[in-house]
Amino acid sequence: MSDATVSRPVRFRAATEESPATRWTLIAVAVVGLGILVFAPLVTVFVMALADGVVASLESLTHKDAREAIRLTLTIAAISVPLNAIFGVAAAWFITKFDFRGKAFLITLIDLPFSVSPVVAGLCIVLMFGTNSLVGGWLVAQGYPIVFAMPGIILATMFVTFPFVARELIPVMIEQGRAEEEAALTLGAGGWRVFWTVTLPNIRWALLYGVLLCNARAMGEFGAVAVVSGKIRGQTATIPTTIEMLYQEYLSVAAFTLAAVLALLALVTLVLKTLLELRHADELAATHRH
Amino acid sequence: MKGPVIHRSPMPGLGLSMGITITMLSLVVLLPIGALLMKGANYGLAGIWETVNRERVWTALFLSFRLSLFAATLNLVFGVLLAWVLVRYRFPGRRILDAAVDLPFALPTAVAGIALTALYAPKGAFGQLAAEIGWKIAYTQWGIFIALVFVGLPFVARTVQPVIEEIEREVEEASATLGASRLHTIRHVILPMLLPAALTGFALALARAVGEYGSVIFIAGNIPLVTEIAPLLIIIQLEEFNYDAAAAIGIAMLLISFAMLLLINLIQVWSRRRIGYV
Amino acid sequence: MHIEIDEISKSFGATAALNPVSLAIPSGALVALLGPSGSGKTTLLRILGGLEYPTSGRVLFDGQDATGLTVQERRAGFVFQSYALFRHMTVFDNIAYGLNARPRATRPQKAEIARRVTKLLDLIQLPDIGARYPSQLSGGQRQRVALARALAIEPRMLLLDEPFGALDAKVRKELRQGLRDIHDTTGLTTVFVTHDQEEAMELADLVVVMSMGRIEQIGKPQDIRARPATPFVKDFISA
Repeated sequence: MSDATVSRPVRFRAATEESPATRWTLIAVAVVGLGILVFAPLVTVFVMALADGVVASLESLTHKDAREAIRLTLTIAAISVPLNAIFGVAAAWFITKFDFRGKAFLITLIDLPFSVSPVVAGLCIVLMFGTNSLVGGWLVAQGYPIVFAMPGIILATMFVTFPFVARELIPVMIEQGRAEEEAALTLGAGGWRVFWTVTLPNIRWALLYGVLLCNARAMGEFGAVAVVSGKIRGQTATIPTTIEMLYQEYLSVAAFTLAAVLALLALVTLVLKTLLELRHADELAATHRH
Repeated sequence: MKGPVIHRSPMPGLGLSMGITITMLSLVVLLPIGALLMKGANYGLAGIWETVNRERVWTALFLSFRLSLFAATLNLVFGVLLAWVLVRYRFPGRRILDAAVDLPFALPTAVAGIALTALYAPKGAFGQLAAEIGWKIAYTQWGIFIALVFVGLPFVARTVQPVIEEIEREVEEASATLGASRLHTIRHVILPMLLPAALTGFALALARAVGEYGSVIFIAGNIPLVTEIAPLLIIIQLEEFNYDAAAAIGIAMLLISFAMLLLINLIQVWSRRRIGYV
Repeated sequence: MHIEIDEISKSFGATAALNPVSLAIPSGALVALLGPSGSGKTTLLRILGGLEYPTSGRVLFDGQDATGLTVQERRAGFVFQSYALFRHMTVFDNIAYGLNARPRATRPQKAEIARRVTKLLDLIQLPDIGARYPSQLSGGQRQRVALARALAIEPRMLLLDEPFGALDAKVRKELRQGLRDIHDTTGLTTVFVTHDQEEAMELADLVVVMSMGRIEQIGKPQDIRARPATPFVKDFISA
């Protein structure tokens, strides 16, 4: 045996690697690019919010318009997110547990809201439920206005967040297959018992993931809500539309403070999302189980 | 495909899950879109054409589409680079960078809109720098471009990342043993493998950018014929209670969306036919 | 080409994949590296191909030190266990890849490339599949295409990592003869890795039995069978 070691010549590089110079250049481009595009605007939100000090910012949050906007946004999310979660679970169950014709087409339809402009989404709801439409006119006559009122905002929010939960659950449930449910059925479990004790525990993290993304979008939706809400102060102004109004009235600190609230929500969402990806990668879509 | 519409299955809950799915899909998505199409049908093709075929509308549609195309192209290049760096390299801060890619998804558009405006306005941090070389960004088409790059940022990176993760090292090694330089391998082996996913991401970013409203209107300045985007025209028509015109423009935009969806599906069919995977 | 492995060792971090091993492979031989998984046989093959760099020791090609040669410079025809065909290219383009990757000055003309690819397709007895994609081929066909692709660069040696590992028993037997034929036609020094003792004994001129990063025995198949040098070899070849 020889102890002679060959000093590793500089030119040797694994066949699947780039040279260190290339590598660090690419990393630098990525860091600088994301810095300019993503981090700079994020930092700007907080800098602008705190331009007049913390006290001024906090005071602006206690203003009636801001309070009402926060309350409305929370209410909207509390209604539309659970509804979409129910839809997502039902759609994923229907699509993954049964075989039927037109499945691919149904999935395309569910994904449709992602490729429709939020403004067009709002427009659709106005045309369907506005006072001069057939349905809308009748509903207004009965005392249930949809457009320029809360139901319209909920519908618009649901439209733009419609695919989130279903799209997260479908691949996970396809991957998990039907064997466990079938086993439970042969053991005598009823439909609901199978769902609560077998299916739900298997999809809970994926469901949470979808709900998280759905919620972030629901609280932040602007375009669709701007169209259907009429932006009536203290009544139908959500946080995003209130931000617009404050900004246009040059109430910069108030606008950016509300924006900072939403930015914090976005950051919390991202942290939770990253944690879910780290801890429960095997139970989320796009990664492999077992 | 032959056989029954729905195959018999021992699984419970067919009626309930199908009922909820169809009802909610119809109520929330299909009927409203149907209402838009009905409105268009009543208004007539001639009416739609008359509305759309005005300089202001054409200019806005063309502006939205052109700037979206530019933004999606930049996203394509930067997205592939980002995906490569995030999957292949290990460096401090990689996780933060990875999470930051999703920020444009998570940050509400109105928040992004005012933040970008504050940043690129003549008095903003970046706006000042640009102004020194006589470059005006906010309230010009550059501003719109930057906002669209922001909202489209995650699409390409997120569609390409899993594909890079799945590339077998042996394929790259094979290329090297055949005498190919690293650059040749990247150009002729790796990039072609990423192409279908990258194009899908590109089309998604494009579709998103064409319809984008919230992050753009603040920084755009909204000068008719110069920086007025198509979605804003719909809002303007609605504020004047001009529902027919709003519907006409809406249908034009819906058609663009459908065209994108078709494009994405065609890319995937093409990719599957040719190489047996998406 | 004569290959000499001189006191090569390789460790990944704290674990030694190869203890210093030495081995001389005569020009034109067909050699099997035989051993269970973890025996270091694949690592040794990859060091020969330039895909790994040894921690210590030298590799000599025809007496010249080749340790520092890059993968590209080695011109070793390498057949991977998974074949690693380029899925987005036709069979024709796969085989032509190495020629197209050459710098312009040494790259053959298009017609010449086409001629060589056709010849290789004939050699592997699949003359009509040039226009197909790898996903449209059977496992055995893929293996032969991978072999043709490796041969296209006019390699100095042929290195194969478990070339029959992914195939079912029947195809495996057929392709064994195919590899033997190609070896005899081209006269290339050929090294293949296998964990299947029957395959090694039947196909190779020289068998190198490895275990835990060491060479247990080097010899002709009949010699190893008649006189196993260590209990491990005895055990392994009777399995």
